[in-house]
Amino acid sequence: MAQIPRREFLKAGTAALAGATLSALGLGSITASAEDGAAEKQVFVYTCPVCGKQFADFEQLRGHFTTKHKELDLPKTVTFSINEAEYDVFVEDHWTLREALIRAIGLTGNAKQMCDRGGCGSCTVLIDGKPALSCTTLAVECAGKHIETSEGIAADPEYRPLLEAYVRNDTAQCGYCTPAQFTMAKYILNKYDFAPTEEQIRLELSGNICRCGTYARHVKAIMEAAAEMKGGQ
Amino acid sequence: MRPFKHIQASTIEEAAALAAHEDVMVIAGGTDLLGTLKDECLPYYPNYLVDLKTVPGLDTIEETDTELVIGALVKLQDIADSELVKTHAQALAEACGRAASPTIRNMGTIGGNICQMHRCWYFRCPDNRFVCARKGGKECYAYKGDNRYHSILGIEGNCLAASSHDSAPALAALGATIVTTAREIPAEDFFHANGLRSNVLENGELVKEIRVPKTEKSRFEKFALRKSIDFPLVNCAVAEDADGQIHIVLGACYPSPKRMTDAEECVKAGVTEESAQAAGDAAVSKVMVLSHNEYKVEIARTLVKRTLLRLVNE
Repeated sequence: MAQIPRREFLKAGTAALAGATLSALGLGSITASAEDGAAEKQVFVYTCPVCGKQFADFEQLRGHFTTKHKELDLPKTVTFSINEAEYDVFVEDHWTLREALIRAIGLTGNAKQMCDRGGCGSCTVLIDGKPALSCTTLAVECAGKHIETSEGIAADPEYRPLLEAYVRNDTAQCGYCTPAQFTMAKYILNKYDFAPTEEQIRLELSGNICRCGTYARHVKAIMEAAAEMKGGQ
Repeated sequence: MRPFKHIQASTIEEAAALAAHEDVMVIAGGTDLLGTLKDECLPYYPNYLVDLKTVPGLDTIEETDTELVIGALVKLQDIADSELVKTHAQALAEACGRAASPTIRNMGTIGGNICQMHRCWYFRCPDNRFVCARKGGKECYAYKGDNRYHSILGIEGNCLAASSHDSAPALAALGATIVTTAREIPAEDFFHANGLRSNVLENGELVKEIRVPKTEKSRFEKFALRKSIDFPLVNCAVAEDADGQIHIVLGACYPSPKRMTDAEECVKAGVTEESAQAAGDAAVSKVMVLSHNEYKVEIARTLVKRTLLRLVNE
């Protein structure tokens, strides 16, 4: 097996947007591939849950549904504002935001299932700028709120120093908790005005469990990014 | 999670009317409720969840001349960070700042924290495998089973679970009043092992706000195995009321936070190293330890002393 240096692997991992697979359960999903280092172009397609036909926007799907599947009700949809885009997606009342992110939208970065009970922090997203656990937030309650995930932060040129500090410090070992810690990192930088102390970072990250034990690397990466970004603010 | 319908309430009265139905549960922060629904650890499963977060006006901290008025939907982190609470009810700010993890504190509300169900591993066992006395069964499984985190001060309502809310002892020590849609309840009488609930609320009764009398002197201490994302093994709050009387409340030692009147007697003349030690001894003078939790006695003794000394030395 060819050896991929872990740093290169991480770069590829953060740049490549999850997607390509169509969710059978959701009405829509992102289908896009990374364009070599550039910010990802996201293509969102709407898929009819009954016959699988695809549409470019939600109105077309609604039209299709009301003519071709008259006997059925169009599933309840919720408009999510995630990173820079808005998505009209179908969610069930009992879906958590984590399930909606992965099933209905196809953003896998922060939709990690670990404890699924709010105890590990692996599914942390930012809702209206505040960290929240997507596994214990109901998707229907997120309508009209702005959700930020690691994909959006990684694509934001302003947070490039943070991403680079994360790569430089080898913060991902198995990588499962890293997107959530990376999302918390943005919150920490903003909360403490790009000058957090080591103690503050440790306190804020204390809700994010890492089985590989990469904790110290996150602290170092955030300190480095803060020093670099403070100058540019 | 199994399916349910989600309803967004627009007023607290509407939510309370809906909550009176048997197949309805209310959700605020959701950090406790969604876990129990995923585990299906309760004897029934709701058909409807009523969202309280859409009710306006319950997420503010205000002050009057004598008390703080905290809305039920105020997030724990907002209480921990509030200058008003830090100044006038420090024990509550410290307690809210030590609950769970930073992320959960940004989601969980104070109303939800005082209404969370008990953290007993028999009570919360997935798929409702232990029908304990709280669920209509005959016995408390913790009595003969693994009770390392359970009550050291006896049994309440046929239950040995330890109260696990961090804010509860602080509210009880501060002499807060819980204002519900139906009545006003002193915090000391609010907590109780009552069926599935950890409080005396009835069906269709919701917490609206919490009134906390102002005091300059109050402290909170928590002992847990981990600093973050953990429930207390023992927590303790002390506060001086308007008459100069010190209230001492121990949490996680009994199914509800328990006021330690014997210990309060010891520090009536003032808190010194000796009287704080005596208060700690008095607090654990009537323990009823179980097979695996005797270690909690020493923790409780020390925590009472430590919290009292912080009250006078800081």
